[in-house]
Amino acid sequence: MTSSDADGHATGGGVRFLGQRPPYWRLLARGAALLMVTLGIYRFWLATDVRRFLWSNTEIAGEALEYTGTALELLIGFLVAIAILIPVYTAIFLAALDLGILGKLSGVMGFVALGVLGQYAIYRARRYRLTRTIYRGLRFHQEGSAWAYAFRAVLWWIVTALSLGLAYPFQLASLERYKMRNTFYGSLAGGFDASGLRLFVRGLPMWLLVFAPLALAVSGFIGIDWKAFADAVAQGGDDAMSKIEGSNPGLGAVIVFAMLMGSVSVTLAAILYPAFQAMVLRWWSSGLCFGTIEVRSRLSTRRVYGAYARFVGYALLFSITMGIVGSVALLAVAAVGGTSRFGAQGEIAATLAALVGYVITALGFSTIYRATVLLSLWQLGMESLQLSGLSALDKVKATGRPSSAVGEGLADALNVGSY
Amino acid sequence: MNSGAGIYFDGVTSARHDVVVALTQSGLQISNPDGHVQAEWPYNEIEGLTAPDSVLRLGRRGSTVLERLEIRDPALAAQIDARAVHVDRAGALQRRQRIRVIGWSVAATTSLLLVAWFGMPAIAARLTPLLPAGIEGKLGEAVDMQIRGMLLAPKDGTTPDCGASPSETAGRAALDKIVRRLEAAAGLPHPLRIDVVRRDAANAIALPGGHVYVFSGLIAKADNADEVAGVIAHEIGHVANRDGTKALIQGAGLSILFGMLLGDFVGGGAVVYGARTLLQSSYSRETETAADAYGAGLMNKAGGNTYAMAAMLDKIGGATEPGMKILLDHPETKARVAAIRKLAGNQAPSAFLDAGEWAALKQICAGRP
Repeated sequence: MTSSDADGHATGGGVRFLGQRPPYWRLLARGAALLMVTLGIYRFWLATDVRRFLWSNTEIAGEALEYTGTALELLIGFLVAIAILIPVYTAIFLAALDLGILGKLSGVMGFVALGVLGQYAIYRARRYRLTRTIYRGLRFHQEGSAWAYAFRAVLWWIVTALSLGLAYPFQLASLERYKMRNTFYGSLAGGFDASGLRLFVRGLPMWLLVFAPLALAVSGFIGIDWKAFADAVAQGGDDAMSKIEGSNPGLGAVIVFAMLMGSVSVTLAAILYPAFQAMVLRWWSSGLCFGTIEVRSRLSTRRVYGAYARFVGYALLFSITMGIVGSVALLAVAAVGGTSRFGAQGEIAATLAALVGYVITALGFSTIYRATVLLSLWQLGMESLQLSGLSALDKVKATGRPSSAVGEGLADALNVGSY
Repeated sequence: MNSGAGIYFDGVTSARHDVVVALTQSGLQISNPDGHVQAEWPYNEIEGLTAPDSVLRLGRRGSTVLERLEIRDPALAAQIDARAVHVDRAGALQRRQRIRVIGWSVAATTSLLLVAWFGMPAIAARLTPLLPAGIEGKLGEAVDMQIRGMLLAPKDGTTPDCGASPSETAGRAALDKIVRRLEAAAGLPHPLRIDVVRRDAANAIALPGGHVYVFSGLIAKADNADEVAGVIAHEIGHVANRDGTKALIQGAGLSILFGMLLGDFVGGGAVVYGARTLLQSSYSRETETAADAYGAGLMNKAGGNTYAMAAMLDKIGGATEPGMKILLDHPETKARVAAIRKLAGNQAPSAFLDAGEWAALKQICAGRP
């Protein structure tokens, strides 16, 4: 006997996020403290706690998601990844020792090999997360080849880099299509139908705003007499600077202009980034589908800016606090150690203290970022979704099996991990 | 018998079933409103799963079928919590598990640090003698390429090597005379390669495989040939002890140990870098002392002036800036100078070079600026 979504708890085909901020802050703060004490080993438990919180507080059509992964699985996956990576690193190291062409190419080859491996890890980590995601008693799963995805992704990254980012929308669309067509909720196949061209058209004004100052900066250098410049540099000597000046009287002004334009570009990029993120998230969500279930997103750009504003506020507060604590600690050390002679021991202690201070600061900022921007993006992203065709949910069948966490481990060891 | 409403997913399809949940003596009975029993779960096979705070979500332990039962009635949820061992709404089980994790992680961290502090030098010391000379030579060449590329690169693109141009060959001959005498006394299995490079710092470095670079700044600072010979003797000590190779193995080992295990948590990179610098400087203290002892012994054997070696070290060490001690490869100069003086033999030393040869050595980098 089945019942429809007309239950008192459902919100008419919508998505709700039930998580409260205070428990999430507590979870993250405790995690940051334990990360420090355990030199980072606690990260597997923190990641699992974070996912459990986010998943179980996300309610789709009246039913909350469930994350069944465990920290132990992540730890084992990481250990397996290390066993895989040590020979890879050793091979790259040995290739670098070769004096011939192999040694010269080893840097590039190592970079490409680790790049492919990183994308492979991303795909397999996604498979792990999907198969640990349970909804209404059924598991999600992912098919497709991680290697095929990895090569596709690396080729796309090369194209995107060569096109100065203009190909990025098409890359996103292509890779997301591959991922979603291989994604299943039980027997229900996923899909992705957002068009790269549409994102390109929407993103182009932002791209122009960021790159126009850079183009202006580069055009300033066109008038420079490069031959005279190169001659002046090659001759060297104490008067090289004045020779360079003499050969190109406008060079100083051009450099100042370029630096100015560079900072304009960076500032614009920083200001536009939340809008860019909101645009991509909206576009991506609206492209998702599972069978006849379609998704539309009406994510508000203004609220994404609000999340970043909260981050900046908390980060400022934290910086001021750390500044005060740091100065007090410094004064205390000076008062105690001022009379005694500083030996190597004292310097080691000072270095350790500086290191601990740095780690506390870095962990603090990362915790604030997770609790403000990342949580808000999850919440806003989820709550902005409009699902249609939910009646399909009543007859999905169970398929798929849980996969190993090796992909997660690789992603962690290669620093390409996310949630 | 207590009972209440629940939502049941059978794990086979996604269909949602409104059910009646009854608490019997031994377990939960899940039945349709018409009385048909869907499932019966013994209390000890029930486990609590993550869910929003207002929902008690239950599953069956160890089952591959993902059956789920959701209870939204707080009173009923509390009764089930009280009866089923593996349902833990208060989080006591989780807390206990977390404390265990923290305990083991701290133990792992401690053992990691112990391995880094005591294990890495021991591993490097055991591995280095096993390394065939061919591989060590290749390592040396690779390091040489890097060193020449970065450290020795002069600003104007000329070669950093001294002793090749016509006005420098007399200096090169003087250097060779010192090296020959030390080499004969050392009796190493492989020939030494010692070169002077144009570099203002008063220093010398020994690479894996036995290549030694003496900086021109060192010769400029020396007052006699025995002072230069003393530093070369110290560097030959590094070659004999294969310290360059050991340092490479230690560096790689520490990178793997800290870099990979720490993984990507924020600030991890700084920890890796800091830990490596601290540990390597602590290793180098011992290797420097050992190279001093070897150098002093070699000076005695070659009939040189070991006190000149101590004097030169005093000069180099004293000139370094305060605040750099832990980044310095030659720490605690005073103690080292005293140790070398203690090792000096009491035979009358014979000078390495005569006044003419010493003057030529001083000009070994005079050919081109």
